[in-house]
Amino acid sequence: MSRFLLRRILLGLLTLLLVSIVVFAATQALPGNAARAILGRNATPARLAALTQQLHLDRSVFAQYFSWLGHILTGNLGISAATQQPVSQLISGRILNSGFLVLVSAIIAIPLSIALGVWMAVSRDKPADHILSTVTLALAALPEFVIGIALVLLLATNVSHVFPAVSIIPPGEHAWNALNVVILPAATLIIAVTPYIARIMRASMVEVLESDYVTMARLKGLPNRTVIWRHAVPNAIVPAIQVSALQLAYMAGGVVVVEYVFNFPGIGSALVDAVGNRDVPEVQALAIIIAAVYVVVNVVADVLTIVVTPRLRTAGR
Amino acid sequence: MTDNEFSEHDGGGLTRRQVVRGALTGGAMLTAGGLLAACGGSSSGGGASSSAASSPPSTGALKSGGSLSVGATGGGAKDTIDAHLPTADTDIMRCWNLYEPLAVRPPSFGSLEMMVAESIEAEHGKADSWVVKLRPGIEFHNGKTVTADDVIFSLQRILDPKNPKVGAASIGYVDIKNVKKLSSSSLRIPLKFANAAFLDDIGQYFNAIVPVGYDPAKPVGTGAFMYESFTPGQQSVFKKFPNYWQHGKPYVDALTIIDFTDDTARVNALLGGQVQAIDNLPTGQISQVQSNSALKVLISHTGEWQPFTMRVDQAPFSDVRVRQAMRLIVNRPQMVEQVLSGQGRIANDMYSPFDPAYDASLPQRHQDLEQAKSLLKQAGHAGLTVQLTTAPVFQGVVQAAEVFAQQATGAGVTVKLQKLDTGTFYGPNYLKWTFAQDFWATREYLPQVAQGSLPTSPFNETHWADPTFIKLIGQARAELDASKRSQILQQAETIEYNTGGYIIPYYSNQIDAYSAKLGGFVESKSGFPLGNYWFKNVGLTA
Repeated sequence: MSRFLLRRILLGLLTLLLVSIVVFAATQALPGNAARAILGRNATPARLAALTQQLHLDRSVFAQYFSWLGHILTGNLGISAATQQPVSQLISGRILNSGFLVLVSAIIAIPLSIALGVWMAVSRDKPADHILSTVTLALAALPEFVIGIALVLLLATNVSHVFPAVSIIPPGEHAWNALNVVILPAATLIIAVTPYIARIMRASMVEVLESDYVTMARLKGLPNRTVIWRHAVPNAIVPAIQVSALQLAYMAGGVVVVEYVFNFPGIGSALVDAVGNRDVPEVQALAIIIAAVYVVVNVVADVLTIVVTPRLRTAGR
Repeated sequence: MTDNEFSEHDGGGLTRRQVVRGALTGGAMLTAGGLLAACGGSSSGGGASSSAASSPPSTGALKSGGSLSVGATGGGAKDTIDAHLPTADTDIMRCWNLYEPLAVRPPSFGSLEMMVAESIEAEHGKADSWVVKLRPGIEFHNGKTVTADDVIFSLQRILDPKNPKVGAASIGYVDIKNVKKLSSSSLRIPLKFANAAFLDDIGQYFNAIVPVGYDPAKPVGTGAFMYESFTPGQQSVFKKFPNYWQHGKPYVDALTIIDFTDDTARVNALLGGQVQAIDNLPTGQISQVQSNSALKVLISHTGEWQPFTMRVDQAPFSDVRVRQAMRLIVNRPQMVEQVLSGQGRIANDMYSPFDPAYDASLPQRHQDLEQAKSLLKQAGHAGLTVQLTTAPVFQGVVQAAEVFAQQATGAGVTVKLQKLDTGTFYGPNYLKWTFAQDFWATREYLPQVAQGSLPTSPFNETHWADPTFIKLIGQARAELDASKRSQILQQAETIEYNTGGYIIPYYSNQIDAYSAKLGGFVESKSGFPLGNYWFKNVGLTA
């Protein structure tokens, strides 16, 4: 187990290094640079030359990358090319906001979708199952921005005014102190990811419920509740853990779209802005953070999978 | 301004009465009238002065107090609060409220309104040296009185050769080394060449006057609002400047500017009541906002233009017949309809429609595909294929390129669209594209020429360098008599009309929206949204 963990962590770090190289190369492939992006149509040669020098963009590509890598190894995310402020200072509040949004959504969405999946499997081929299957399929087909805009129309602007339409969080304030502006973005994410997990859970649960040992348990006369929650769910949950991890990792990146719709001050909108600004240090920092979430979530999911699967749990011994 | 006058916006378009009223309001706000009348009524005449503080427009039912939140387009990490470096709309909005230049054109785009200056006059009746007298007793937010030293510091900061600011592109011809303080409240600004358009060039919001030792981290200006906080990409909070020189203004105690990268989110914030005004309402949302009795749409008929730019020094556009053919290809009314949803007026391949020297007698160009085909054939370019470089640099620009490509097929011309992202468009090939697009604000003719139509212009995207034109511009710049100058300028306009490299299909409307509880927003012909973003004129009506 510990050897497995160590190997996964080392592989994860290697992944992050590769991500940083790919992202850096990609930002270099984008035409223009931070100085041009900042000046826009005011990019007269004199102003361009002055700003290029100010932003240290006249250094070579390799010098820029290794100086960035050297900084990050010492825990320093570097200086933003667009604002000349430390990247950590620019994005720390946003990371907390996005983190809170994703966490709240996950805490609600994962148990909710597992419960839904179980219920659908248990009431297989009954009306509840048909209705839920159709609804989740339809929701899974909708892009997040459509869900977000529909929620805004229904709950914030045209039909009723229950929640704020956009998430205005005063700078310096944290998302958890402004809960009412988190509700609609969180609801959007929940609606976006729940169908996937629920449908996987249903499929795997249906399979388990048809297996011999479940039939055996029923024949032994165990109560239905015990059969489902003690015997079936622990075995059916492995695919749901894996897909939850994927969805969670996806949320860390997919939050971009939701933040855009709600003007939510998180990493998603910061990333879009940083790419537009050709702000390489900030893009690097955000990409690494999102990739790190991806790696960590996957490691956690693998560990959880091992924990709930006796066969795997005992394999290494 | 009363409630009634504003409710007229509800009907959508602007009535004739409103246009007239807009002009009168502008007139009332202006104080430079007397001297200008003497030099022929031109706005960029030989000088302008104000005898007293501007008499504010009738405030009607506007109340003092309350706070105002405004949704602004765009914004991000590169946002700035520096008085001399505004780029994005959010920067521009901050600048209009925190800082003031010596003089500036009001939303009506009438004559220049004196701000920090009390008067700016040509010395000895020649346009190569100007004397500025400052408004007596005008104060910065930190309580310091504005002096000639502050003006000199501001000009030096803008023209710093090591770090030129936005304004360097418009007043680069100021002979900065010889600017001389005459007294604590007056100075002389000599120019490297005579320029009757100096007032317009210096009278830009980005040429603001800041105190000696100005530090953008602690922004101080003379504007109606003073700095409280600023978070790039999120929001800026300002408060009322109690010692503002226009007594009684601003009406509101606090102003919050909130950045919105997404148009839909900005409109939703207004519909949901989280902000009370937004700039740049998408045309598709006009009817939705108009149908809401709690909101009003502000439509401004501006002189903003989004040209197609043909490089006159590169084939095939080096042949004037090809340029003429391209201009004849455009079906202007159709373009206004399809690109702007009708929110614009057709143009005649000429800019600066509000300049007194604008030659309205030149015949309006209409689509003439037969003539276009025949010109192309004469030029040896029948069945021409050209590449048009486009990018979403301004709303409607990419759509205009698509419509143009469609219309060109009628003349047998194939227009291949090269669609780029904004970053690439402004990349190393910026100002070098053979056939591309751009967008421009409302300007008078000479200042616009200085920006884009001379070999020395910073943004001469058509590479226009007509010797006769250059000579005429030199003459006009030295001419302080407005009517004589107009005659010269009309000759220059005619040259551009006949052989220039711009296709100017239309002037676009500026469309904003605000809560019906607010009053004081006026149409802005200048094209700056929400009446030059002058929130000092805005207050609650009830």
